Amino acid sequence: MKFKRIFALLAGVAALTAMLLAGLVQGQGRRFDGVQINVLTFTGPQIAEPLRRRGREFEQMTGARVNVVVVPFADLYQQILTDATTGTNSFDAWIFAPQWMADFVPAGIMEDLTARIRADRDIQWSDIGEFFRNFSASYGGKIYTIPLDGDFQMVYYRTDVLQQLNLRPPQTWDDYLAIAKAAHGKDWNGDGRADYGSCIAKKRNAQSYWMFTSILGGFVQSRGTQQGAFFDTDTMRPLVRNEAFAEALRVYKETTQYGPPDELNLDVGDTRGLFTSGRCALSVDWGDIGTLAIDPQTSKVKDKVGAVILPGSRRVLDRASGRLVSCTASLCPHATGGINHAPYAAFGGWSGGINIKARPQAKDAAYALFSYMSSPAVSGKDVTIGITGFNPYRTSHFKNLKLWTDAGFSEAGARVYLGAIEASLNSPNMILDLRIPKNQQYQQVVLDKALSEFLAGQINAQQAMDQINSGWEEITNAEGRERQKQAYRASLSIER
Amino acid sequence: MRAPKDDSRQVPSERTGPGQSRPLQRLYGWLEHRAGLVFLLPAVVVILGFAIFPLLGSLYTSLIRIRFSGGQTELDFVGLANYRKLLLGSEQAHFLGRGGEALWVWVTLFFLALLLAWGLYRRYRQGRGGLAWSLLGGALVLAFAWLVLSRLVPGSLLGTLQTTLFYVFAGTALQYGLGLWLALLCAERLPGTRFFRVVFMLPLAITPVGIAYMFRMLTDTSKGPLQPLWAALGLEGFSWVNDPWGARFAVLIGDTWQWTPFAFIVLLAALQSIPQEQIEAAAVDGATRWQTFRYVIFPYLLPASATLVLIRMIEGFKIVDLPNILTNGGPGTATESITLHAYFAWRTLDVGTAAALGFTLLVLVSVFSTVYARALLPRARGEG
Amino acid sequence: MRNPLKPSPLQVAFTYAVLVIAAIVVLFPLYWVAVTSLKLPIDVFNGPFYLPFVDFKPSPHAWQYVFGVLGPDVKRAYLNTASVALASAAITLFLGAFAAYGLTRFEYRPRVGAIVAFIGCLVLGVVLSVLGTPVGVAVAVALALFFLVLQTLGRRFKRSLGNQDVAFWMISNRILPPVVVVIPIYLLFQQLGLLDTRTALIASYTAVNLPIAVWLMRDYFMGVPQDVEESAQIDGASRYRIFFSIVLPLAAPGLVATFLLVLVFAWNEYLVALFLSKANAQTMPLLVSAMSGTRGTEWWYMSVVILIMILPVVVMAIILERYIERGLIVGAVKG
Repeated sequence: MKFKRIFALLAGVAALTAMLLAGLVQGQGRRFDGVQINVLTFTGPQIAEPLRRRGREFEQMTGARVNVVVVPFADLYQQILTDATTGTNSFDAWIFAPQWMADFVPAGIMEDLTARIRADRDIQWSDIGEFFRNFSASYGGKIYTIPLDGDFQMVYYRTDVLQQLNLRPPQTWDDYLAIAKAAHGKDWNGDGRADYGSCIAKKRNAQSYWMFTSILGGFVQSRGTQQGAFFDTDTMRPLVRNEAFAEALRVYKETTQYGPPDELNLDVGDTRGLFTSGRCALSVDWGDIGTLAIDPQTSKVKDKVGAVILPGSRRVLDRASGRLVSCTASLCPHATGGINHAPYAAFGGWSGGINIKARPQAKDAAYALFSYMSSPAVSGKDVTIGITGFNPYRTSHFKNLKLWTDAGFSEAGARVYLGAIEASLNSPNMILDLRIPKNQQYQQVVLDKALSEFLAGQINAQQAMDQINSGWEEITNAEGRERQKQAYRASLSIER
Repeated sequence: MRAPKDDSRQVPSERTGPGQSRPLQRLYGWLEHRAGLVFLLPAVVVILGFAIFPLLGSLYTSLIRIRFSGGQTELDFVGLANYRKLLLGSEQAHFLGRGGEALWVWVTLFFLALLLAWGLYRRYRQGRGGLAWSLLGGALVLAFAWLVLSRLVPGSLLGTLQTTLFYVFAGTALQYGLGLWLALLCAERLPGTRFFRVVFMLPLAITPVGIAYMFRMLTDTSKGPLQPLWAALGLEGFSWVNDPWGARFAVLIGDTWQWTPFAFIVLLAALQSIPQEQIEAAAVDGATRWQTFRYVIFPYLLPASATLVLIRMIEGFKIVDLPNILTNGGPGTATESITLHAYFAWRTLDVGTAAALGFTLLVLVSVFSTVYARALLPRARGEG
Repeated sequence: MRNPLKPSPLQVAFTYAVLVIAAIVVLFPLYWVAVTSLKLPIDVFNGPFYLPFVDFKPSPHAWQYVFGVLGPDVKRAYLNTASVALASAAITLFLGAFAAYGLTRFEYRPRVGAIVAFIGCLVLGVVLSVLGTPVGVAVAVALALFFLVLQTLGRRFKRSLGNQDVAFWMISNRILPPVVVVIPIYLLFQQLGLLDTRTALIASYTAVNLPIAVWLMRDYFMGVPQDVEESAQIDGASRYRIFFSIVLPLAAPGLVATFLLVLVFAWNEYLVALFLSKANAQTMPLLVSAMSGTRGTEWWYMSVVILIMILPVVVMAIILERYIERGLIVGAVKG
């Protein structure tokens, strides 16, 4: 252990010297001449495309060599951990989901970026949405990642459909169900076939549990991000066996009635395809539908798409009794018009992080690369391009409407789209995705499996809640309740 | 592939001429003397060298739980906790299913028990020993039969174990039957069969992941190529993925499409070793086609068939890509195989449970294939 | 050489009917993949459309993307897949044929005592190295003990196993699912410093596919008449000469079939390739699976990758198919 500390000290000194030297030589040569960095992400066009494109620009500017390595998305998490925890360390930096920080930070593989960001003017840190700065990029009060993407879920609707049905965009989940019911079974894209009221990705082991949490949010969290939507922050008991969860299950199951027959086997790729080809009236999704809908290669619904913040509820969970009670000013301080919205930062947005074992020069270069990609001018361009997979996350992205109309949005369309994102982004009641050790087991294994069995009719709502509750408690007990509680509080930035 | 004719030249002649030195002669002598060892050893070394470390490594993994804390990876030794969770704890219903009660299950078991008892009695009368082993085996068979039958009662739930057994046995039978049929037809040497031979090998050329995605396209009932067919049958609002058995059969069809060529190639090659004269002789004797197949051709195919079935069963137990991509194990857990179960656990860093599943599978398949190899293989090869 | 069992025209018609139906079942999915590779996303989701130009306007966009943007990746992966699959299939076939011949023509009696001693010493070695003994010392101690036990106790315990058991042990190495063993394999190659090399892939595919090759070829060798070998032996030919110049040519159909099978197994392998390769040694199956990302599956790109992946195997099958023929064997036996 002593050796490690000395090593860290030496590395720190070396990094400082390197930074000093880099500053000195900046005048003459380029800053990172001869430095190669290996960056790992998943095979896209998304993420990998802007990384390669901006990487080349960065190479020209600084002389570094950016080597982009890609693996299939489903295996990224395992690949990062296997490489770093076995001491192989072939990668200097990764672009990944910040949710994974809950495992990466305790495993000690991530570089603390707080000092660098404080010292960096070009990145314009305060321009990044508050939620992303304080929650997505941070863990336990320190900054570990640089956001490159803003992720939260919204509800998309077809403006022409609502017009014809003479309905307004959904404010609550009951509204959502009513619209879906009214629109289901009619032809909405002129091909003579009956279309669907609502398309939600409900496939097992795909995005189903995020979709469900989007519905659950408005019922369960009303007092701001730090209240938490998954566990009680004092006892670490799951917020599962209560009326809010039961109500969300009911809504989730009912949407299936107004969906495509094989909805239980659809992932977001399928629902996006169905929505943009005009076969669905409503959908729940991340920001991607907005940019996909203006792409003539994929879309039949250009200028017919609207987005709203996730619907909410007039009744929210009373945590003492486990019952749903009507909103009051003290219970729902952030409600608008009596409706409590809790937008859900599902997944959390792709972010760049740096391997703590990377060579000092490589760390500097990787940081500079991410800082460059995130800077307002560069990211402002990239978030309007569908293929990047990047969604807006900076205040400046919303101010400059021209960026969006240049990309192909109609002005009204851009306003609605950005309005919905901004409303979510600025909400003080945003739900932070679960970020505690083993979060993948809590969500992908226990929650997702119970949801799938519930939708397939293998178990009823009560059994589903019991199953999730006992499954979560088992993991919590195995990992240590106190430890998990501290991790959960740290992810919500609650001081001890 | 070496061209057969060239090989004779590459082998050094061991008939040493008078000019050759003694050490070389002795080497040849030794090589000839220990030829058996020389033939077998390289393969044994390669397999052993590669198998032992992963085997021990994963055995150890099945006894631990991974935790990250304090900047390092902790491997907590938890003993048999992972196995306990699987067989008795929270994963039990997932792995072994949930049984239902029905009279016919017990009636069937009763008759099975009678049958076993009769067999036991006959063994005893013939004076063959091993009574304890026979009793143990009988009990195992009964327990296993219960584990499968009670999961078929309405209202019960199949675990990943039973689902896997379905894939293995139904799949192997289908693939063997179809492969044999096609191989026989292609061996008839009608004009054009060479085209069909190449066609029937094609599915093997696609990576399993690719095949799985391909079948997702094909089984899509709203935009897949079979949609008009569904619509014509009045099934437009129906989807096979909502029905557990529908989804399982979809996986089975994909698996059969993919692996029938394996049986086809192996049997086609085996068919070529049958002496043509025997078939001709049978024809001269006035045997029907069926008789020729049953009494002349099939005995020649038996050894290859036995091997083929064993290999397919072992591989079939590891089915993962198709259910993973076609349905991700859904609806509910209906199409999840044991390996997929392990994969889901492994992907979320629950490596202990994944390894425990793997070792349970190892025990299960070992029992199956030992019985198969001891009881059936020698008979198929005409050795027992 | 006509089949003397002259089938009636009705039987011929039936045979063709079955073959054609089976061929359609095999080819239609591939046709669908080919058509999909020419579709725009919107044509995929509004489908089903069957005929290019008639139902929808084909677009080369997917082909352009795969060969343009992904061009360097595809080329590298292609070369990797080809070299790894060919090399490992050749080695597998060679070693496998050797071992299979051994198992059909010789009798092996590995002693139970020796095996138990080996396992015991192995476990001891592992325990020692886990407890902190240097690896070299642990191996030396284990080896020394092994030979000691072998020479003393092993001799008394005479019970032995047979060829069946050796073959069965080989195939039993395939039972464990890959997810369970992939991390130990990763660590193994990390220690050897072979991560992200083709060597690692060739070695692992050879080891993994060897049991299958042994098992399949055992049956083919058993079908080769032994009297020819015996007469050659009387003539004074060595074991190796008999093997190469008599047995191998006689078992050619089986060899070709086995080669094709181990080739496609190595060609298509996914999980081991995923872990052992980073950038330099990535193979094609990884590319296929990579076409499904956060935006869902990009069916059009995936179709292109699947198609270009099948092509070489198809060519190989066409070339080698003729060797799975009776003619060669009959000629060899008589000649």
